[in-house]
Amino acid sequence: MKFQISNFKFQIIFLFISSFFLFLVDNAHAMHISEGILPFNWALFWSVIAVPFVAWGLYKLKKLSAIDLSFKPLVGLMAAVVFIISCMPIPVPTAGTCSHPCGTGISGILVGPAISILITAVALLIQALFLAHGGLTTWGADIVSMGVMGSFAGYLTFKALRSIKINLAVSGFMAGLFADWATYFTTSVELASGIKGDSEFMPLFWKILIAFIPTQLPLGILEGAMTAGMVILLYKKRPDLLVKMRVLKAEEAAI
Amino acid sequence: MEIFNEQFKKDHLLSRVDARVKLGVSLLVLAMVLSYKGLAFPLLILCVSLAVCVRIKIPLKVFLLRFSEPVFIASVVILLKFLFSGQEAMFSIKISGVIITGHKDGLMDGLQIAGRILGAVSVVAVLGFSTPFTEIMAALSWLKFPKSFIEILMLAYRYIFVLLEDAMVIYNAQKNRLGYSSIRRGLGSFGALTGSLVLKAFENSQNITTAMIQRGYDGNMPMMKHKPFRMSEVIASAAIITAMGIIWKM
Repeated sequence: MKFQISNFKFQIIFLFISSFFLFLVDNAHAMHISEGILPFNWALFWSVIAVPFVAWGLYKLKKLSAIDLSFKPLVGLMAAVVFIISCMPIPVPTAGTCSHPCGTGISGILVGPAISILITAVALLIQALFLAHGGLTTWGADIVSMGVMGSFAGYLTFKALRSIKINLAVSGFMAGLFADWATYFTTSVELASGIKGDSEFMPLFWKILIAFIPTQLPLGILEGAMTAGMVILLYKKRPDLLVKMRVLKAEEAAI
Repeated sequence: MEIFNEQFKKDHLLSRVDARVKLGVSLLVLAMVLSYKGLAFPLLILCVSLAVCVRIKIPLKVFLLRFSEPVFIASVVILLKFLFSGQEAMFSIKISGVIITGHKDGLMDGLQIAGRILGAVSVVAVLGFSTPFTEIMAALSWLKFPKSFIEILMLAYRYIFVLLEDAMVIYNAQKNRLGYSSIRRGLGSFGALTGSLVLKAFENSQNITTAMIQRGYDGNMPMMKHKPFRMSEVIASAAIITAMGIIWKM
């Protein structure tokens, strides 16, 4: 205990330094919990939490693809887009290296949280099987942090800001920002609960949260900018798509 | 994406084994690795998996790429647990007024988690290196994964390569026009790149649907038919699982 109080400064410095090193690995995937980190009971717990959300996504998919046959291919392609976005290295100035956005804010805005969770589950499974990003045993935990929390945070932020007439760019930016930060917050909870062993949860949770700060705070801002850029591009080039996906009302799309 | 190159195109013993058997064995071994309290079993699994990777001639570069991230995460976890977790002090040094204490129980916990990470990653690596994607999909459908989910997986896998090529063309064009010369321009370019990919996804989905309908698509895609299990494979996998189970229990 003496160590934990008298060396708080050291802990902070160590966590910052270790997080810098963590992201020096060229393809570090900050949002993905690595295969095997979680013990069996926690891996099972997060999988059980994820199942109803994925089932909800499948139910929505079935309903929507019965109306429009092109919806299933669209969801497949959106999953490919999310896969590519979450594999793309983007520079994080404060860490002096590259990290990766999660892309769930974008899919949350465009296709709603239910389908977005399904899209994330698909992208995560392919990454786990063939790229060792995330894992089969942490698939449930990754779906909850990236899919459920990321999609809901992005979708709800965007809808809330649009309902009070905030412009598209700012709404998109905030949606991307909160989707990223919600994911990183949930990942910290999952990691701390999974690796705490006999230690207390809260101290470890704070340490992991602090370790994420150098990359995830700026990355959230970058993801916000990326989401805003995407929404603006769609608004300029194909406003009809935003109306079709119920992102905008028809009268708002008239430019 | 180099790691995406299909290693399983090579003909070897594991590539001929039924994907359902490989998936079943992998999932059971993963459950054992995760639930094992100690270091010995995950390390044994790691050694066996590494030997299999060498035997099926996985190129060193692909192998290192696959393990670089998990190894680094495992190292950070060991350090975190060693310095910040545990009660039993192993050593204590004072550097510039800061006392750094390493904990024996923290180190043991860290090693256990690191062993679990490496053991589990190696199992999934062997599965990924030895099984084509379509066979894994067929195995998932045999495990009663929802059909719609597998259809989306197959569509996504197919179009990752198409969209990735588009993304590279757009990215190179942006880069040649100094689209990433400053942080501000880079952000704008990256947003435009993402938006273009989404636009392509929407446009391609319409074209794909039209092409699929012309080929008789009615909202459901056909799945690979399951061949009957080969008795020799079932017996061999049961023997492997039993042996692993005995070691796990020891």
